Amino acid sequence: MSSRAAARRRTDRIATVFSIAMTGIVLLMLASILWTLISHGIRGLSWQVIVRPMGPPGSDAGLANAIVGSLIQTGVALLLATPIGLGCGIYLAEYGAGNRFASAVRFVSDVLLSAPSILIGLFVYLVLVAPTGRFSGFAGSVALAILAVPIIVRTTEDMLRLVPVSMREAGAALGATRWRVTLSLSLRAARPGVLTGILLAVARMSGETAPLLFTSLGNANWSFDLSRPMASMPLAIYQYAGAAYEDWVQLAWTGAMLVTLGVLAINIVVRFGFGRTKA
Amino acid sequence: MNAYSMTGSTMDATMTADAALSVRNLSFFYGQTEALKNITLDFPKGCVTAMIGPSGCGKSTLLRVFNRMYDLYPGQRATGEVMFDGVNLLESGVDLNQLRARIGMVFQKPTPFPMSIYDNIAFGVRLHERLSRRDMDHRVEEVLTRVALWSEVRDRLRSPASGLSGGQQQRLCIARSIATKPEVLLLDEPTSALDPISTARIEELLDELKDHFTIAIVTHNMQQAARCADQVAFFYLGELIEMDSADRLFTAPRLKQTQDYITGRFG
Repeated sequence: MSSRAAARRRTDRIATVFSIAMTGIVLLMLASILWTLISHGIRGLSWQVIVRPMGPPGSDAGLANAIVGSLIQTGVALLLATPIGLGCGIYLAEYGAGNRFASAVRFVSDVLLSAPSILIGLFVYLVLVAPTGRFSGFAGSVALAILAVPIIVRTTEDMLRLVPVSMREAGAALGATRWRVTLSLSLRAARPGVLTGILLAVARMSGETAPLLFTSLGNANWSFDLSRPMASMPLAIYQYAGAAYEDWVQLAWTGAMLVTLGVLAINIVVRFGFGRTKA
Repeated sequence: MNAYSMTGSTMDATMTADAALSVRNLSFFYGQTEALKNITLDFPKGCVTAMIGPSGCGKSTLLRVFNRMYDLYPGQRATGEVMFDGVNLLESGVDLNQLRARIGMVFQKPTPFPMSIYDNIAFGVRLHERLSRRDMDHRVEEVLTRVALWSEVRDRLRSPASGLSGGQQQRLCIARSIATKPEVLLLDEPTSALDPISTARIEELLDELKDHFTIAIVTHNMQQAARCADQVAFFYLGELIEMDSADRLFTAPRLKQTQDYITGRFG
């Protein structure tokens, strides 16, 4: 009897120690990545990085054009993806219950969610770049938007489904149309979660390289024209990290650090800005 | 007050002429399941009619027929007739949004909308009326006063309704329902999620509201039915078993089934 109890206690302790150890390994990996990134990146941090555009080795080059390019492309992608993602998520949650078409859409969207991003890049290359014969910032935005749409669809649907049926019924009982209930009650109650989904999509887009390789191509100079090749942070990092010049490699580290800190900032905003808001 | 009575689904000859809602041979189906079987009864104007019975007996279903709530869900349908202001409200041509403005509903759990106290009231009003700022302020004050909430919230009309207590939220929901000036008020176990003090306040409120509205209330609380209702209908397994004035149904029920239920022998 008591030996059984002892054995159970032992098993319990082993399980606890095991899971704590595994958690420690995960944390260690994360800390090590961040440490490597910051210790390398911070050395090259200066005003020059965010003020001066990219340039030849040894020319006091910066990343300003890539930063701006990334902001433009991500911004345009967000403008494209948000209405599509929101609309589709609303359809799935509010109108698509027990509907075969909706199930199919949900399935396709989930597949897209896990599709390799290079595939999306190739697709946009075939559809937008090859026919026009020209790499463009816009094509990059479209590729990023395709990446973002399923994320927004998923979170919008999930968040709307969390809104209690009783609230929808209460709205309908006052004589509100379905659309009015969705817009003024459901979406309003789900707003923190929906915004979180959009910001997570932004975070995802800002680190993606593959969709941009064959679409916006990258640009060593300033570029504000969406119909021409445009620089971006991931592409600049990709190009500079593999270079033989020490100052380029340093810029890549610093750029990677900036992107990571940006994404981290978005996550913190998500966590503390919207996370606590009550529905 | 309403000294007519009926047994099962056989109608007494003396149906009240002045009924807000007249139900005739109503049956209701969830898919294949018949949840209400050939119900016939009247809800007299300006009276409180309570519906009692064990869970699943169809009383909430009946309430949800009156504002066509079941239309939100495919596979649910009703047959028979429910006359409201000269129209059978089960007919397909009925404007549901308008119907629901005239027949308001309060649910079991308070359902404050994710907006301010003021906007919770204004939301419903704006769906049906265009009021000036002043008129809206006036309407909000009027209904909040009527549910005895005004003095408690007048200084925080702009703060979120979710910050109110459960009892306050339920009174807000009642205020929200009467703000669209309905003729009938449906209450689906409105106090079952509330503490005794909040419950007492809502019951007091019902007493006052019945001067202005016809009220249909579903309740599991027999004392509540006895205290608030003019007439009481007892449902069992989708059938209307007995209906009478509250006094008589609780003191001298005619059927043994009713007697068993109100004395707590089953249910």
